[in-house]
Amino acid sequence: MNKNLLYRLLVFVVGAALLLSACGPAATVAPTEVPAPAGPTDAPAEEPVEAAPVEEGPCLIVGALYGGPITDAGYNQAMHEAVVAIKENIACVEIIEAENVPDEAGATTTMENMISQGATLIFATAFNHQYPALELAGQHPEVIFEHAGGWEMSGNFANFFGTPPDGWYMMGVAAGMMTETNKLGFVAAFPLGWTSTFINAFTLGAQSVNPDVETIVAYTFSWGDRAKEADTTNSLINQGVDVITMHVDSPSTVLSTAETRGAYSIGYQNLAAQQFAPEYWISGTGFTLGGTLTWLTSTVLDGTWEPIFLRCGISDGCMAIAPFGPNVPQDVKDAVAAAQAAIDSGELVVFAGPIVDQAGAVRVAEGEVLTDDMMSAVDWFVMGVTGSSQ
Amino acid sequence: MAINTRSFPRLAAFTPLLNGVVRYLLMILLALLLFALILLFSGQDPIQSYGDIFAATLGSSYGFSEVLVAMIPILITALAVALPSRVGLINVGGEGQLYIGAAFATWGALTFQQLPAWALLPLMVLLGMLGGALWAFVPAYLKAIGLVNETITTLLLNSVAPKLVGFLIFGFWHSAMDTVKTDNFVDAAKLPTFFGTRVHLGLVFALILLLAFWAFMKYTRWGLEMRAIGGNAQAARRNGIPVKRYLIAAMCLGGAIAGLAGMAQISGFYGVLLLNFSIGLGFMGFLICWLAGGDPLGILLMSFTVAVITTGGNMLQLTRDLPYAAINILLALTLFVVLAKPSFFERKKP
Amino acid sequence: MSLLPILGVLSSAIFSGTSLLYTTLGEVIHERSGIVNLGLEGVLLVGASSGFAVTVITGSPILGVLVAMLAGVLMNMVLGYLVIQRKANQLASGLALMFFGFGLSAIIGKPYVGSRIEGLPRLPLPGLDGLPRLYSSLFSFDILIYLVIPVSILVCWLLFRTRWGLGLRAVGENADAAFASGRNPRLFRYQALFLGGLLAGLGAAHLAIAYTMNWTEYMTAGRGFIAVALVIFSRWHPLRAIVGALLFSGAVAFQLLLQSSGAQVSPFLLDTLPYILTLLVLIAWGGNRKQSAPASLGRVYHGSE
Repeated sequence: MNKNLLYRLLVFVVGAALLLSACGPAATVAPTEVPAPAGPTDAPAEEPVEAAPVEEGPCLIVGALYGGPITDAGYNQAMHEAVVAIKENIACVEIIEAENVPDEAGATTTMENMISQGATLIFATAFNHQYPALELAGQHPEVIFEHAGGWEMSGNFANFFGTPPDGWYMMGVAAGMMTETNKLGFVAAFPLGWTSTFINAFTLGAQSVNPDVETIVAYTFSWGDRAKEADTTNSLINQGVDVITMHVDSPSTVLSTAETRGAYSIGYQNLAAQQFAPEYWISGTGFTLGGTLTWLTSTVLDGTWEPIFLRCGISDGCMAIAPFGPNVPQDVKDAVAAAQAAIDSGELVVFAGPIVDQAGAVRVAEGEVLTDDMMSAVDWFVMGVTGSSQ
Repeated sequence: MAINTRSFPRLAAFTPLLNGVVRYLLMILLALLLFALILLFSGQDPIQSYGDIFAATLGSSYGFSEVLVAMIPILITALAVALPSRVGLINVGGEGQLYIGAAFATWGALTFQQLPAWALLPLMVLLGMLGGALWAFVPAYLKAIGLVNETITTLLLNSVAPKLVGFLIFGFWHSAMDTVKTDNFVDAAKLPTFFGTRVHLGLVFALILLLAFWAFMKYTRWGLEMRAIGGNAQAARRNGIPVKRYLIAAMCLGGAIAGLAGMAQISGFYGVLLLNFSIGLGFMGFLICWLAGGDPLGILLMSFTVAVITTGGNMLQLTRDLPYAAINILLALTLFVVLAKPSFFERKKP
Repeated sequence: MSLLPILGVLSSAIFSGTSLLYTTLGEVIHERSGIVNLGLEGVLLVGASSGFAVTVITGSPILGVLVAMLAGVLMNMVLGYLVIQRKANQLASGLALMFFGFGLSAIIGKPYVGSRIEGLPRLPLPGLDGLPRLYSSLFSFDILIYLVIPVSILVCWLLFRTRWGLGLRAVGENADAAFASGRNPRLFRYQALFLGGLLAGLGAAHLAIAYTMNWTEYMTAGRGFIAVALVIFSRWHPLRAIVGALLFSGAVAFQLLLQSSGAQVSPFLLDTLPYILTLLVLIAWGGNRKQSAPASLGRVYHGSE
């Protein structure tokens, strides 16, 4: 009984103290809580005016949101590094970031909050951010939205991305030459259109140097279940695969699992992935979009921003090939370089017909090329892939 | 609400309503204080952090609307636990029932796209409730015939339901661009929203259900008989109350309510069915109901509080260097404080 | 060539089943004492994040394992305080603990997402050294895997062959009667939670430090709930839990094998099988008193002040 009384007293004291202290923030918050900026004017016209007094405040507040953690040694880290590069190049901008925003609903809330914090340029970097960003672009004409890897466009909403299929083709060339069992493994999160495109490009690249090669695909059905990624990697290796690559959020578990089993690996999305496979690393491709995002931001600052559908590849510096691992012979490096030169010169187009699918049906006819729009909705695998694309 | 006035003599003069509110507030303040300590440990200024949470929730009309949006599903799933608990059933299966309800409603939305909203939405509501009820029937029946405890079965079925939904999405319903979700629903299959915010008709469902639950328990013969069963099933049976039938009906009704929460969430909030769209909404409902002792007013207060906390977490991530998930600590501390003080409430033991 | 995939399923089942088995053993112990912990997911996450963080900082996976165990115990003690001391409802307290774990592990682990560690060293099974690496690496296990079966047997011995185990089970069956016969139900339950926390910490450590060598938010992906189901599946017996854990994780490995051989079986439906199986086991044994749950599982022990 006595203890209870004491407890209640304590609660009262604590409560009273908190009530008092709680008045503080409430009072100070009210004035700072200024939502939407002055009014819907043309953003480009207004920005230079704000840019002038550098000392007083940021010339531009940039919001950036990511689908996963920004230190994942994968896609999100690559995007984060690109956003950080803006700040390094244009000192007067202020960056607000939010990681782990995987779904649409959360993205809407996060972007609304960013706008209420004064952001007038927003980089929405995850697949699921596209439609929320497009919808908000309609409601906030004064804010510019740049989304990574989508296809929609509007007056203040545009898309930017690299050209991963080219890189995947080159990695396929390397994998096709390195494999001894003629079996390549692909650990994928979900059967998505883009994932299937990557698998196809990878396989076509491998087949260009090694016609007998086969790619085995297995899905984890999760972007972040690390144990399942390890299980999947092992399962592929146990089916005779000796080169592993992946399209999941963070490559680290797949790479380190392949390393312990003595299987070669190829990274994707971030050049930093190499550290997880010091011995059996072949190479990898990653996004290096810092320069591109800096340029986009500078056009917002000087008022020349326009909604353009921006795609840039390895030759533009938007993507890069990671250094080769210690066990990669020179002829493999030469073959990759040759493929890159052919792609850069336009002599080689990855998805140029004729391309036949697993069942032998022609998907891209002779003389035709798979367009970006079609790549995002691919639901078939080229011949030589084992696994289901649906 | 039955308040134990003996253990709290000073406040006995207050009306029970005020009494309850004051106690809730005190406990929440204690949780805030504990979280402030954790914030201090991780190098954040607690006062500014709370300022951010306040600004993002109650401090602006947009923030307030977001709180209401977050409150809708957990308020409904809490009622899905409250109703069966009146006959002594512990429904931990809200999560699974919510998923199946959403799946049934999605089937309606995708199959009858050409129907006008006034026909399609009620159909989806009915389908959602049917789905939830069916999913609750298995544990209800197994319990009623005395074979397996409903706590265990509902818990197991929680793990099955999201996978079934995944099977349906990948196998049949997925859109061409993105295989982890269906095509966006047609407008007629989306619950209307209010005042340009994301607050949708589900809020009205939730409040009507809350009122109906309160009136049902208080004024109908069924409500009284259910309480009799919850109090002493043996005695109720001797008095000629059909206990088995009540058990099954209460559980299925609970499931139907959770199914409605699923329907409201995909139709009103997302406008699409996506894989793993609920991470713990059903469990949250269970917690809220339990903390409120099954009392309607308490459920309303607790779900509002929980919604404020979860909504505020988003802002905390932008302005403080804290992961979004960190807000779960404040949530859990609030729950811990309430759980640790059973003498504040007098609740029925199952 | 056809032997490798089959051995592979077994190897995967062992690797990913180990963390499940440790966690399940822990849950068996405290459910035997009458406490159900629905917060295992949170306990695992906090164990994994703190163990991983310490491994990154110190470079010592062993230290990481120890810290993960400590974290597991601390988390379980929070539950113990709520359900034993404050007599709170177990299900609600467990779920609250789960949310607590979500948040706490995110804060602890945030600076270490994407860090690289040297995991627990792996030693091949004796006699397999001569095989090609592809095969020998299948059965090249870390110390936690080698220990998991002995630990299961130890738990079994503790529960069924010692006076302490008898007391623990008595408390789980009927706390009041156990009290009347001179046992302290509260002490037994704290002890059970302590051991359970150690074991859950081992499970978390194996997941983060030995198997995936990685930390990410929510990385346990429902393994806590799988462990709760496994306890039921194995009907509260540590040795049956071995079979259960192998079956559950073997099913995942088998599913992956089917998938990549192009078979059109939905992985989602296959993933539901363990739960359906557990449900069927429950129904089959439901009427049998001897085979069912500890009688006072989930009940608050009020005792006498």
